[in-house]
Amino acid sequence: MAALSAATAIIAVIVPLAAGLSLLGGVPMGLLAYRYRIRVLVASTVAAGVIAFLVGGAGGLMTVLHCSYVGGLTGVVKRRRRGTPTVLVASLGAGLLVGVVAVAALAILTPLRNLIFASMSANVDGTAAVLARIPYLSGAAHELKLFFATALDYWPWIVGGGSAVSIVVANLVSWWVLSRVLARLAGIPDVHRLETAISADPVGPLPVRLDEVGFRYPSTDTDALGPVTLHFDTGEHVAVTGANGSGKTTLMLVLAGREPTKGVVRRPGAVGLGQRGGTAVIMQHPESQVLGTRVADDVVWGLPPGRRVDIERLLGEVGLDGLGERDTDGLSGGELQRLAVAAALAREPALLIADEVTSMVDQQGRAALLGVLAGLTTRHRMALVHITHYDLEAASADRTIHLSGHGSSDNAAMVGVAAAPAATVAADPGRGAPVLEVDDVGHVYAAGTPWATTALRNVTFAVHHGDGVLIHGGNGSGKSTLAWIMAGLTAPTTGACLLNGQPVTEQVGAVALSFQATRLQLMRGRVGDEIASSAGFSAHDTARIASSLAAVGLDAVLADRRVDQLSGGQMRRVVLAGMLARAPSVLILDEPLAGLDAASQQGLLRVLEDLRRHAGLTMVVISHDFAGLEDLCPRTIELSDGALQPVPAPAGSAS
Amino acid sequence: MTTSRKQSRQQRRPVVLLRPIPGGSAIHDLWAGTKLLVMLSFSVLLACLPGWVPIGLVAVWLGAAVWVAHIPRGALPSLPRWVWFVLLLGNLAAVFSGRPPFIEIGSVAIGVGGLLEVLRFTGLSLVLLGLAAMVSWTTNVAEVAPAIATLGRPLRRFRVPIDEWAVGLGLALRAFPMLITEFRLLYAARRLRPREVQQGRWRRYRHWVVEVVDLIAAAITVALRRADEMGDAITARGGAGQFSAVSTRLTRRDWVVLGLCATTCVGAVLSELAWVSTT
Repeated sequence: MAALSAATAIIAVIVPLAAGLSLLGGVPMGLLAYRYRIRVLVASTVAAGVIAFLVGGAGGLMTVLHCSYVGGLTGVVKRRRRGTPTVLVASLGAGLLVGVVAVAALAILTPLRNLIFASMSANVDGTAAVLARIPYLSGAAHELKLFFATALDYWPWIVGGGSAVSIVVANLVSWWVLSRVLARLAGIPDVHRLETAISADPVGPLPVRLDEVGFRYPSTDTDALGPVTLHFDTGEHVAVTGANGSGKTTLMLVLAGREPTKGVVRRPGAVGLGQRGGTAVIMQHPESQVLGTRVADDVVWGLPPGRRVDIERLLGEVGLDGLGERDTDGLSGGELQRLAVAAALAREPALLIADEVTSMVDQQGRAALLGVLAGLTTRHRMALVHITHYDLEAASADRTIHLSGHGSSDNAAMVGVAAAPAATVAADPGRGAPVLEVDDVGHVYAAGTPWATTALRNVTFAVHHGDGVLIHGGNGSGKSTLAWIMAGLTAPTTGACLLNGQPVTEQVGAVALSFQATRLQLMRGRVGDEIASSAGFSAHDTARIASSLAAVGLDAVLADRRVDQLSGGQMRRVVLAGMLARAPSVLILDEPLAGLDAASQQGLLRVLEDLRRHAGLTMVVISHDFAGLEDLCPRTIELSDGALQPVPAPAGSAS
Repeated sequence: MTTSRKQSRQQRRPVVLLRPIPGGSAIHDLWAGTKLLVMLSFSVLLACLPGWVPIGLVAVWLGAAVWVAHIPRGALPSLPRWVWFVLLLGNLAAVFSGRPPFIEIGSVAIGVGGLLEVLRFTGLSLVLLGLAAMVSWTTNVAEVAPAIATLGRPLRRFRVPIDEWAVGLGLALRAFPMLITEFRLLYAARRLRPREVQQGRWRRYRHWVVEVVDLIAAAITVALRRADEMGDAITARGGAGQFSAVSTRLTRRDWVVLGLCATTCVGAVLSELAWVSTT
């Protein structure tokens, strides 16, 4: 039910946007009608309608109604497993209905109709008058005028018929696209995992005892977890560590109330997910678990109506004092996670589970977040289970559980890359003409409007062939903006960014950029197609696909895999493979290590170092972390508040 | 910036959606529901009676609001040149239609009737867009969902799930900036790719269709993933319940605005009726 309402909300946003391509706006609505009930479609239409009304006035509202009418019809037909003829018949009926409604509306709103027709005929008459002056065209002018006048006489038929035809066409298009899209979406695993267990028992998650508990996901042949025997009690701070695939998250699910497939879980009462004195869970992605638009709204979001909490005290405990009125949209990852802790504490949970909460947070944010977590068990009567893949973070816990697991990590399919130290191509940075020149670049978003924000100021540096540069800075330092400018995706407000002496905005694609959100960069359904499309060669060229995969240490077997079945580390490598196949002048990597476990990070770093050393690839890495990047990037540039900070003479920065 | 050697480029002002103009004003402080009600009643008024008087009255309202809320000119997005061109062409064509009334300039009589109709239609569209923009410029999105829940309370009697709708709307508004960022990324990722050149019109067309389907599938995948994660977050909080920390109450200012709005509507209707009865 929860996932459902979120889906509603999100699709509601797409519709006004997709309405720009008016014919396609029905597709997301169709998807909703296909997957869920009409009630969801209605709720989503209301949300979309209000947003459209705010953005574009009454016209926007009409567009949304049209989209959900068309989409709803297609989705329902698809759900009933009927074919194209049904769509044709249903849409004809629906189209006629819309036509009648449109005619009736215009018939009632006589003044509006008269105005629209009068301004249209003024335009037509004027055009006709001009045409009449041109020799040979006076006949056509007369015809045009006559034709339009006749058309106006029959307006109910034309408006009605036009609406009907447009509905039928829109339905057929969205039917066709929806079928294609559904076929593509069929293989996407459902990532939503938590379930609300409805139970009449009083809430009482602690103490909990797991006896030989194991878990196997449906349609898999290995256990994702265990068997493990564990117990957790009030007042404990327990760290759970292990590599990707060792079952850490599965353990979280079991603690949060999912029935294990093996063994027994014993607890005195119900799990009480999100209830007072029950279990609270904080998850990995900072942005998607904060649900309120304002900080204070988020703390109370989902509490039963009428329940009051001391918002200021809760925010103070997590170090967000006085931010209650701020929009959650402007918070950093670390602040969002601390806000999630406050929202969890508002429920006075007996058991708090933090699942990889620091993996998407920068260094400073991580320290603050860990500080908040560390004191929780002394301040409240509760148990804290902290799941992490960083051993260091486990240090403040009372005890640590290490899961070894059965799953395989990313590197299972990795081809051994021999790292022979050879100084063949290693060009001396600082000699010769630079490849990429950033010359006095400044950038202001929404310049000239009241919302203008300065992202970069007077940034100047150069990248030479074979260089490895680390651009380092905290949240909001402007490093991502710089990456977009260096890739030519954004034209800087002032200054210039030159690639081999020419503005890089005219050579988009020559500089490769890998985003932090890797999934967004994978556009095709399968790995092979993805690499071929991204590199610009034929998808049938299996030899080149295999060699591209080998270049990033992946097995050629992966070429037929669906991209949605890849792990985080594999996705990054596939993106990299597609980019490398085009031999980019410079490769920019935005937070390449974020969200990967230690082993995947090591693997990826080894691949990158090898590429820089042996292939002489020029690399710019953007990161809020230094850890492990020293070998890859001998040169460091520090960004703070959009300006370069002087760095105490790192090697090779004298350009 | 002044030391910059290169001239600052003329940047186009972008459309900024659903973000209030920084700084406060009396209009920023109005209850969101009041603004929505005013916008809705004016939209209905103009749809029923798109005469010069109602359009003018609403335009006066807009002007007053712009003045009170200190809305700078920079808040308007810059329009591409072709829009101006089309507008000009339309008006020019209307002039040539030569409808009464006529204005005599020297010995030439120009019929401005057509032009007046076109201007009235343009004015109507601009005023309607302006109303929407005004609400978006002065309202924090966090206030919209609670306002809808309050406004829709009478509908509960007809078993309309208004709270469910308000929660959905709130989540949608929360997801809006995140999805915009993700769509921007998606578009950028596409731009970074080589263009695949296809031979022949049919193949080019087919290729274009495949691209569109891929893009929609990618966008929907992104949205569904986000939805699944948010769904987990909602479950972790034990389902939906409260969604706003502050309870909004109508102040005297709201009543004054609503009263003025009602007066304006009645006035506009009466003037239109009077005009109809005299002609």
